[in-house]
Amino acid sequence: MSTRGAAYAGGVGFALWRRSLLELARVRGGLLPTTIAPLIFLLGSLGQFGRLDQLVGFPTTSYIAWLMPLSCLQAAGFAGGATGANLARDIEAGWFDRLLSSPAPRPLLILGPVMAAMTRCLVPVTVILIVGLLIGPGLTGGLFGLVMLYLAAVSFSIVASLWGITLALRAGSQQVGPLIQNGVFVAVFLSTAYTPLPFLKGWLAIAAPYNPVTYVLQMGRQATVSGIEPSWAHTWPGLVALAGMIIFFGLLALRQLRRVDL
Amino acid sequence: MTELALERDVSTQGRVVVALAERALRVQLRRAQFLLPSFLLPLLLLAVIASGTSAAQQLPGFPSTGSYVGFVVSGTIMQGTLLAGLMAGIAIAGDIEGGFFDRLLSAPIHRVSIVLGRVLGTALIGVAQAILFLFVAWLIGADYTGGVGGILLTIMLAALSASAAAGLGATIALRTGSLSLMQNLFPFVFVLLFTAPAFFPRALLNPVLETVSVVNPLSYVVEGMRAALFDLPGLGSVGWGFVAGIGSVVLTCSLAVWAMRSRLRS
Repeated sequence: MSTRGAAYAGGVGFALWRRSLLELARVRGGLLPTTIAPLIFLLGSLGQFGRLDQLVGFPTTSYIAWLMPLSCLQAAGFAGGATGANLARDIEAGWFDRLLSSPAPRPLLILGPVMAAMTRCLVPVTVILIVGLLIGPGLTGGLFGLVMLYLAAVSFSIVASLWGITLALRAGSQQVGPLIQNGVFVAVFLSTAYTPLPFLKGWLAIAAPYNPVTYVLQMGRQATVSGIEPSWAHTWPGLVALAGMIIFFGLLALRQLRRVDL
Repeated sequence: MTELALERDVSTQGRVVVALAERALRVQLRRAQFLLPSFLLPLLLLAVIASGTSAAQQLPGFPSTGSYVGFVVSGTIMQGTLLAGLMAGIAIAGDIEGGFFDRLLSAPIHRVSIVLGRVLGTALIGVAQAILFLFVAWLIGADYTGGVGGILLTIMLAALSASAAAGLGATIALRTGSLSLMQNLFPFVFVLLFTAPAFFPRALLNPVLETVSVVNPLSYVVEGMRAALFDLPGLGSVGWGFVAGIGSVVLTCSLAVWAMRSRLRS
């Protein structure tokens, strides 16, 4: 791509990203659902299952340290999924047809929402982190762990937004909203959400190792779980899992975009 | 009003309640966006919790109920009924925004019947949920030592829980009349669920939550279900479960009727 082409692409992507963020300024409390739901899950699960940290061999003595990265990922997933729901609304309102008829290359039309998801997820993730750190034992993984947690969350928001965009393009209706969020919910919870792999029983013990989110969680948990010390061994499986999911859902979204007719 | 007229009125209103309940059931069972949260989501969480947190049985003080899934299924029923109540509220808000509610109000029917119709429809959904969830839990290992009697008592408690949740959903929907607000209440259902000993015994909850759970009527309902399913009084009291359930239904339905009258006045 020439310098001029790259500048043009950047300009279109930036404009669509800015439009997505402007919505947040216009709709008061627009980020509340994506922040409150994971926060309630965090505090509720801590209250219900908090004693699990007393199990022999549990990798931390603070259950909130185990849950916090899960809630961050959940919040990032919901924030990413919300951009898909917003796209569905744009399709219903006819705005997306106007974008399709513009001379902008089609892949750029999904770049804006993906960039918006990455930005939007920072708010709920930071709120959850602050609440968790106020209650919990702190950042046992230091700065490296914190960077890994944010990297995991922001990357997962990209995955969720690509999933949401694919469904929105396919359905073309806002009714697809619950399906987007339920997909995120399933992906996050069919993993080591509540306990580490050795403590899982039955079908989840078989399914969780095949779920890439398990490894993304491990990467994020380097920040708060003392038993998962910051290391390359705890990082690369998460990076591979994220790259794989981004490529897979990115291709799905682009394929769906190519199928959209004016 | 003469005694005969009153009787006719009661019988007419009874038919109205049944007709509105049938409509509520049809609407909820026909639309996937209503079915997904109230049937599939609790089943998914049951599967995840049963497999993901079953190591909790190794904790000292965890009651012995055979399989772990048998212990947590009461929480799943509670979750399902709460979500069914929310869906009832969403459906009412949809009726208000869509104009169907105004047509109901202009019909010669008692205001209370409108609320009771929705509550009855949701109670029947609660019964369906309880049967389904208990069956699925049985398939994956739950053993209900309380027998058929215990299962029937649990289904009755589920119906009460769903009715109370529908009353609450109706109250909020009638007060606000906003579909989007009702849809955003989804996370708050989990506040009610998590402040009761839904998935863990009360003695093993976080101390703050243990204190809060005392004032949550759902605590007594979910513990009543467990006591009935396993015929173990140490898990809770069936009697207190019914007292809390009936009390919640009366309170929330009264609030819903009051909300409707306030709406009509304004």
